[in-house]
Amino acid sequence: MVAKRKKKYSVGEGAQFMSRKAALKKLQLSLNDFRRLCIIKGIYPREPRNRKRAQKGQSGIKTLYHVKDIQFLLHEPIIWKLRDYKIFNKKVGRARAIKDFERLHRYLNNHPTLKLDHIVKERYPTFLDALRDLDDCLTLCFLFSTFPSLAHVPRDQSALCQRLTMEFLHAVIEAKALRKVFISIKGYYFQAEIKGETVTWIVPHHFSFEPQHRAEVDFKIMSTFVEFYTILLGFVNFRLYHWLNLYYPPKFNSINQNEGEKDLVDENVYVAERIAALNFPLSKTSNEVVEEDLEIDAFNNDESPEKIEELKKEAEKDKQLKTLFKGLKFFLNREVPREPLVFIIRCFGGEVSWDKSLFVGSTFDENDESITHHIVDRPSMEKHFISRYYIQPQWLFDSVNCRELLPVNKYFMGEILPPHLSPFIDKERDQQYIPPEERALLDASIEHMYKKDEENDGEGVDDDEEDEDNEEDGGENEDDEEESDNEEESQNEKKLSVTPGEVFKEVPWEKSRQERQEYRLREKLVKNKHRKLYKSMMEGKEKRAKEIWLLRKKRRLHDAEKAEDTKGKKKVAKKENGPAKKNEAATKGKKKSKIN
Amino acid sequence: MATLRKKRVSKKLKVSWRKHVNIDDVEEFLEDKRLEERLGPIESKSDNELFKLDTQIETRLSAKERKKLKALKPLKCYHALEPHTKVPDPIAKRNRVRTKEERKNELIKKKEIANREKGILKAKEIQSMQDKKLYEIKKRNKPKKGDFNTDIWSEGSKFEIENDEWATTLTKKHNLKGVGALQKTTAKSLSKKKSLHPSIEAPHPGMSYNPSYEDHQDLLRMVADKETQYIKKEEYLTRVTRGMFNKVTPGKRDQMWMVEMSEGLPDKTSAEDNEASDNEYSAVNPPVKNKKKSVQQRRKQKEQRELELKRRVTKIEKKKIADIHQVKILKKQIDRSDKRQAVVKEKRIKRAAHKALEPNRLSSTKFEEQGLEFNLGEDIAGNLRNLKKEGSILADRFRNMQKRNILEPSIKRHRKNAKIKRYTKPGHKDDWKKTVAK
Repeated sequence: MVAKRKKKYSVGEGAQFMSRKAALKKLQLSLNDFRRLCIIKGIYPREPRNRKRAQKGQSGIKTLYHVKDIQFLLHEPIIWKLRDYKIFNKKVGRARAIKDFERLHRYLNNHPTLKLDHIVKERYPTFLDALRDLDDCLTLCFLFSTFPSLAHVPRDQSALCQRLTMEFLHAVIEAKALRKVFISIKGYYFQAEIKGETVTWIVPHHFSFEPQHRAEVDFKIMSTFVEFYTILLGFVNFRLYHWLNLYYPPKFNSINQNEGEKDLVDENVYVAERIAALNFPLSKTSNEVVEEDLEIDAFNNDESPEKIEELKKEAEKDKQLKTLFKGLKFFLNREVPREPLVFIIRCFGGEVSWDKSLFVGSTFDENDESITHHIVDRPSMEKHFISRYYIQPQWLFDSVNCRELLPVNKYFMGEILPPHLSPFIDKERDQQYIPPEERALLDASIEHMYKKDEENDGEGVDDDEEDEDNEEDGGENEDDEEESDNEEESQNEKKLSVTPGEVFKEVPWEKSRQERQEYRLREKLVKNKHRKLYKSMMEGKEKRAKEIWLLRKKRRLHDAEKAEDTKGKKKVAKKENGPAKKNEAATKGKKKSKIN
Repeated sequence: MATLRKKRVSKKLKVSWRKHVNIDDVEEFLEDKRLEERLGPIESKSDNELFKLDTQIETRLSAKERKKLKALKPLKCYHALEPHTKVPDPIAKRNRVRTKEERKNELIKKKEIANREKGILKAKEIQSMQDKKLYEIKKRNKPKKGDFNTDIWSEGSKFEIENDEWATTLTKKHNLKGVGALQKTTAKSLSKKKSLHPSIEAPHPGMSYNPSYEDHQDLLRMVADKETQYIKKEEYLTRVTRGMFNKVTPGKRDQMWMVEMSEGLPDKTSAEDNEASDNEYSAVNPPVKNKKKSVQQRRKQKEQRELELKRRVTKIEKKKIADIHQVKILKKQIDRSDKRQAVVKEKRIKRAAHKALEPNRLSSTKFEEQGLEFNLGEDIAGNLRNLKKEGSILADRFRNMQKRNILEPSIKRHRKNAKIKRYTKPGHKDDWKKTVAK
């Protein structure tokens, strides 16, 4: 007997892949239903290694799926629901066409519904998996919460998105999980750390809705994504609330309900508005404190002690960040975007309020004397309170990114703001040259260091440097005083020198030698496989360090030269006009910062 | 002659009789009579019944009033059921099928009432009540959209084994077989991320609403670089496509086409000449002749073949001996090829790493990266109030998903204008008699 003839593409890559059309045929679904199913189940097209074989010899480029993936879809129970939808649509269409309204209503009241709970569980077996994939979900939900009802976007979807996102923000506030914030031209970037997972999302700017181009984005697809993501976010919220000892449909106990207000709106709307206000603490199921911060393991073998030290420092800073605005009272002027600012302030323990007519949920009045910061985004105001700072909203964002309260003087009302830097920069940046001005912006503590360095470096330049500072800061007297204090301190320190003891004689270079030796030994442990990579890495590092050194040197020389120049000029100018100079210099400084 | 003469017509048939005899007066009489029958004789009616004194001014009713009046009347749909005439039904006592209720025995009726009072119900009624209850429960428990009241990540952990983090799924499956706790496993490849790209890319520092000068310049430079790249590519494409061809007028193009297409066709004049010159049959390829080889030729061929074989064998043998002497050279060769292969391998690894960052080719349209959003220098206001928004988050998400191999890149084809269905009216169709039959 002759062996059975082997057919082409019955094994190997040809048998592993399936075109989209074949998949449709196998699943007996329409293209729209198939796309919906794929999005919900998380099945995506694949790229084959050998396209010609995968397409069974057909030319062109087709959308291919794994046969296994399609088989996986085949077992999904919601496929029947999708088929039910088809039948439902036919029935409804017919009833409408023959104007059988009784039937039509009956059908519409009993429409099939997709239940996606089990799919959420299936795609994200653990809660952490869900948190890891929350970026997309949050960004889309925040975006859709701003949408009106559109074609392909059901009316209730945007309402649901709004509710869920607000609930999520409450959870972040309660957990004090926010870490980084950034205002870009696209929207607000937020980064939170929930259970050790960083979650980043973008919130669109609150301007009026702008219509999207039809050709650019397929709304139907995005709406399907949102359909799944709302369910994911709902369950995540539920879990988060229970973890934080909160009631899940959120409840309030501490709202003083005005009689008049309560008459106006019904109970649900009332609560929903308070939630949207973000300004009331939610009521808790128990008063247990949720311990999230984990102690960093002291016996960590594979990491160097410096790294552990660094991690510990970071953790300490994060701890400080959580109570950054504690004890501060903010008032938002009406031109300031309310939602992001309230969220940030409340995340770090601040109290906030706004004009009563702006939005519900304001807690105190503008005339409250205990307000410490009044956030303003206009060049000037008529009424001023002496007891508070009038600052621009960027101060909040920059303070959060610096993880400490920045001096307010650069952010006063009408002031030209210092640049708003992105906190989302890669760690590689420490191997790049950063000009001292930028370094000062990134970390406020460096500012003093930098200035001190300058003072110590060029002794002759010293007083001129100070003069320059005066120019740039305009009328900041406090800062200068601080600086002079620092100077005195440093001089005092020099006098109090410690003489080495005589009993214990330590070779000064011994320790560093030991360390170097250890380092070399550790270097030897690098696997042969990675040796080349390691070598090139180190070379690169050295090169970059050299570059930085060179640029710093150039800068120093340049500064010195400049200082010399200005010194000469000033001496001439001083002789000519004494008191008028200062104002002029101040305006000059402003111009400079404007250019920057 | 002016007198009108009646035309004589035959009244032979019933049809013609009916057609030509005037019976209007008879019919009128009969109609009157019927009317009298319906309404009663006029003489018997009093004046009040026949006439009415119009004392009120005619008022126009409002739409609402008219509607109200109309609502008082019986529905028009029952009009057909009412008798048309007032002639009483000639059959005084009509038989009618009695209803089920009427047909029931009096005793049974009494018993049923008594039963109901006692609370004894029929099986059918009990069933319907149960069904109603069930339906209501079902309707109440129907999950509402946006209701989340379970923790899906901790529910269904009735069994201790389920939550055991040390037990493998296989162990769990084995131990939980048949207890109702379904252990569903999904392929690992499904939970794996499809791309190395993050879902939210870190924004370029120059995209800040109030960027530092360097960052902003850096961003602008990046954007400009990309734009110049595009321009360069487009220029190149036009150069190698449109730029390669000479431009000619349509007239000349047609002429050229004519010349090109008629290339190789027999010229009219020359063809005539050829025909005139010789009438003999001739082809381009002359027919093949099967020439046989002679025995001698075959023998010589065979000898040559054998010789060739022998020569080849000896050559191989010789080479074997030579190779022994060439071990060193061979080793060098192998080393060289090994080195080359190592280089190629390294390159391949590098290329794979590079390719992992690029989006997969998932459909016939290629993914195109959207440019970075940027504000021009004059658009930067430096405060939140006057911020100029750039870019759409929705489009950004859409592209990002395409980049992460979640969506296949596609061009959405959409109609600019609504689709118009065109058809000809039957009256405007061609007359087949005129067009086809002729």
